Amino acid sequence: MTESIINRIIAARPDHDGAITVTGLGHRTTMPLAEFHDRAKAVACALRRRGIGAGDRIGILSANRLEWVLLDLAALMIKAQTAGFEPGKFSPDSDLIERYELDVLYTDAPLSDDAPSRAMPISTIAGDAEEATAALDPVEWGATECTTVKFTSGSTGAPKGLEATVGSIDSSLHAVQSLFDHRPGDDILTFLPLSLLQQRYWLYSALYWGHDITITTYQSVFAVMPTVRPTVVMGVPAFFDTAKRHLESSLADGVEPAKAAAELFGDRIRYLWTGSAPADPTTLRFYNEAGLPIYEGYGLNETCITTKNHPGAHREGSVGRPLPGKEIVIDDEGVVCVRSDHPVNTAYTYAAPGDSERMFKPGGVVRTGDLGRLDEDGFLYILGRADDVIVLDNAKKIIVRPVETRFRDTGAVAECVLYCPSPAGLVAVVSPHPGPVDTTAIAQALATVNAASEPDERICRVIVADEPFTVDNGLLTSQFKPIRKRIADRYRDRIDDPKAGIHAH
Amino acid sequence: MPTDLDTLAREQLSQVLRDHPDPVALDPDEDLVQTYGITSLNKVLFLTSLCKAAEVGLDKFTEDDLARMRTLGDVVDALRPHAPLKG
Repeated sequence: MTESIINRIIAARPDHDGAITVTGLGHRTTMPLAEFHDRAKAVACALRRRGIGAGDRIGILSANRLEWVLLDLAALMIKAQTAGFEPGKFSPDSDLIERYELDVLYTDAPLSDDAPSRAMPISTIAGDAEEATAALDPVEWGATECTTVKFTSGSTGAPKGLEATVGSIDSSLHAVQSLFDHRPGDDILTFLPLSLLQQRYWLYSALYWGHDITITTYQSVFAVMPTVRPTVVMGVPAFFDTAKRHLESSLADGVEPAKAAAELFGDRIRYLWTGSAPADPTTLRFYNEAGLPIYEGYGLNETCITTKNHPGAHREGSVGRPLPGKEIVIDDEGVVCVRSDHPVNTAYTYAAPGDSERMFKPGGVVRTGDLGRLDEDGFLYILGRADDVIVLDNAKKIIVRPVETRFRDTGAVAECVLYCPSPAGLVAVVSPHPGPVDTTAIAQALATVNAASEPDERICRVIVADEPFTVDNGLLTSQFKPIRKRIADRYRDRIDDPKAGIHAH
Repeated sequence: MPTDLDTLAREQLSQVLRDHPDPVALDPDEDLVQTYGITSLNKVLFLTSLCKAAEVGLDKFTEDDLARMRTLGDVVDALRPHAPLKG
């Protein structure tokens, strides 16, 4: 394989002019990546003084901020592993530290007096970065060693933990670079949580190839884009849909498309990146016609970036061709299977029994569970998702089936189907048992289900269907499975009405 | 061009909501997330547009300020000290 990017960026101080900007509403910090590297080294020295070193695991539970990425690079420099936790999904408590075997946890969450001794405010990293550096023992990561644990939605409700190999990170970065040629003058904007490893890829890319990187939060992204003037924006469909609606309002007011786009995204966009969930074809067309090329790709946490449309090979409706080092096979059931030269891993580190075997197959193959087809030129088309996944606008994924099953298993309802009409939370449409509807029992079941669910899975309202779902009324398949789209169509008004239904307390 | 902040805020909020409701019908005391289903992304778009229209510098506010703006009334109250508009 070509040079290891990870090993190069920890060993060599950047000799290019690339810069990092961390910004949000009301604040902005910019520094050369060479200075950032120096500060990360100072943090690495501070971690070593605290007894953290090779083989240890550093938890990071924080919103995007400079200290997050300083810690990430510092951990790489001392061969410690990181575990990035999404804020709001995890709490900085003893349970987290014990469950994920953390040697230290840095967090921006307030720490109470009885907080575990291994939990520390992430703000202390800013002070560490100012301290003098000492020589660090040189380290080298092997291709099959894992720099980080990433977390992905689990079938049991608890996130599955997956360790990512250096080989998969290096391979993905080299592959993406071969398609998009990020270079000095580029500024890649990332705003999704840094707990998602792929968002940190762009820092590694900047350190290695010398382009700029800007890190912000999804709360601030629209506020900072016009002044940051990125050339590349790493987004998800819900983000681009929101931006499209805003741009359409501007166009309706008579603003020229190019001017409207520049007012929202800045005036230097080279291309837009979307992935993580299927993009709406009309949204993709809108951007391409507005002069903002947008490229959709496909991949899972377990496979990393697998296919990608790009300037050299772009086919509408597809998610692109496989990246170098990836191979797609459609199995006999039409399921997309991905073989990687450098797999992310061959099993989960933290998962329910059977989860790893269902996903990871021999020979570096991952059976995605998604249905797809390849055309004669090797472009992949995703035809359906085997699991019903709701992707929120901040890229959080919720697998709804386990929650629906939990509700049905209370016995209070015959069936349950979940929707996400607004960020207020999930809305359930339930099929009552035949006969008089027992709203008290359904309300109790709602409380029980919410108590057993993760914060993101909380159901805020329950709409009780006017009649049970049946095959005859068109709401169940012949195998008696609820038909999600028809149920949504029939109860759309109540799903969208925030005052309708039984509310959670 | 409206001459008061309240009217301007209603119009800008209507713009970012999916169904573009009548600005006059918007309730300044209703929760932006719970009632109007406004997302974090839409909220900052709303504030950005409103600040531009009201000629208020966006740099006057932090993410914490944004989080405290739970209702349309909160947004208007937050902008008022900085706005050349009356209302």
